[in-house]
Amino acid sequence: MLEVKGFSAGYQGNDVVHDVAFHVDPGEAVMIIGSNGAGKTTLFQSMCGLLSPSSGKVLFEGDDITGMPAERIARLGMRFVSAQRHLFPRMTVQENLLLGAYPRRLDPETMSVVLDLFPRLAERRRQHAGTMSGGEQQMLAVGRALMSKPRLLVLDEPSTGLAPLLAQAAYKALGVLRERGLTVLVAEQQVPLAMAFSDRGYVLENGFIRLQGTTEELAANPGIRRAYLGVT
Amino acid sequence: MTANILDGIVLGLQFGLLAAGLTLVYGLGGVLNLAYGQMAVVAAITVSLAMDAGLPVVPAVGVGLLVGGVFGLLLDATLLRPVYRLHGEARVLLSLLLTLGVSFIVDGFLNWRYPLKALTLHIGGGAVEILGVPMRRGSLVASAITLVTFAGLFVFFRYTALGRAVRSVIEDEEGARLVGIDPNRMLRLILVLSGVLAALVAVTRSMVSPVDVKSGLSITVFALIVTVVGGLGNVAGALLAGIILGIVNVVAADLIGSYISLIILLGAAAVTILIRPAGLLGVKE
Repeated sequence: MLEVKGFSAGYQGNDVVHDVAFHVDPGEAVMIIGSNGAGKTTLFQSMCGLLSPSSGKVLFEGDDITGMPAERIARLGMRFVSAQRHLFPRMTVQENLLLGAYPRRLDPETMSVVLDLFPRLAERRRQHAGTMSGGEQQMLAVGRALMSKPRLLVLDEPSTGLAPLLAQAAYKALGVLRERGLTVLVAEQQVPLAMAFSDRGYVLENGFIRLQGTTEELAANPGIRRAYLGVT
Repeated sequence: MTANILDGIVLGLQFGLLAAGLTLVYGLGGVLNLAYGQMAVVAAITVSLAMDAGLPVVPAVGVGLLVGGVFGLLLDATLLRPVYRLHGEARVLLSLLLTLGVSFIVDGFLNWRYPLKALTLHIGGGAVEILGVPMRRGSLVASAITLVTFAGLFVFFRYTALGRAVRSVIEDEEGARLVGIDPNRMLRLILVLSGVLAALVAVTRSMVSPVDVKSGLSITVFALIVTVVGGLGNVAGALLAGIILGIVNVVAADLIGSYISLIILLGAAAVTILIRPAGLLGVKE
């Protein structure tokens, strides 16, 4: 579904991620784990068209989307939920969700699926997005992306700024989506959360992919247990 | 006093409509269009020429609105291209310089080709009494058109998918891109809309007083003042600021004198900005 090859990107000629390669198959949940500053956000932003990559290729369902602007990638069915969320703060929850479906008309079925998944959004439908709590905003960011019925959901640190219980709730909702067959790629520094959710993973360190494997393999790796899972 | 307030509202609606086109383009694209008044004047001269050529008023006005829209489209497609490559203050500054250049060129051309041309639309019939005050029919028609336009803008931005998409770019440009909205296409749409609004300003204004080839600068300046007081990028703010400043202007002109009223108008604008730097309905960045 998604294939990234020899991918490098960064800011003003200084690459932050180097020669990264990974893939996501249909129906999979894949995590990219790494500490703060490892390059996860740069990787995702340049893969999804918000930054331009310096070299490499990104294929989405066989189409070359390397360097395509974000709005075109979004329309192809690959939706990015940024860690900053980028909601429309002075628009209502309802309007944010409707914009998720743009330019298509309101599809009541998708709307009710999203509101079932996040009942809080149904309660706050008329409230401005900017006045909601961090957890609710994260729900809205995911809900807005779901309104377009994406085939691939790309999430950058969905746990950012959330209290532990809320972060767990966010991953629980993602787990429900997975069971329904949605393909998900997630970057996360709170590794235990991502591990409970993903089939496979890649470890990004200083801009390089150092390790890859199934979640079980990674969880059993002594280096990972020390660095990310707090096991000595 | 009632008469002053009513006259102030008539003028204020004009001010509001003036600012709406300017404020939208700024809010959406960070482009400050100093050729805005010239858009209005070009439309006015077009309407006047079309009527000279024998066209009835309504189709002539239609041609004027079309020319206003095309002016906006041309700006977007040509001169503003390099502007879009910049961001933040550099973008505002370059747009300001380039459109100022356009305003000089347009002014120069109009003064050379049509030095004495002016648009005056006579709305026939006597005065109509409102709350005991006799009002000129032209003022009332102009105000009615303005109100209908604002209602239309409100409905467009609040209840249509396209209008919401435009607002989403003002709210968060990256967010808009992430839901598949191309900010540049929205900006093109708004520049066309802005040209049509400028043309409409010229038409409604000409029902009250003539719009001649030298009106461009004053239209731009008033639009800027109202825009800043209302809050950049805020149409409702433009309407509110327009009405307040309109009333201030008329009352000051009546009590003190019309020469001083402009100074008072600017003073009121300055005080508002000191108290609320983001404008009446603006949001702090």
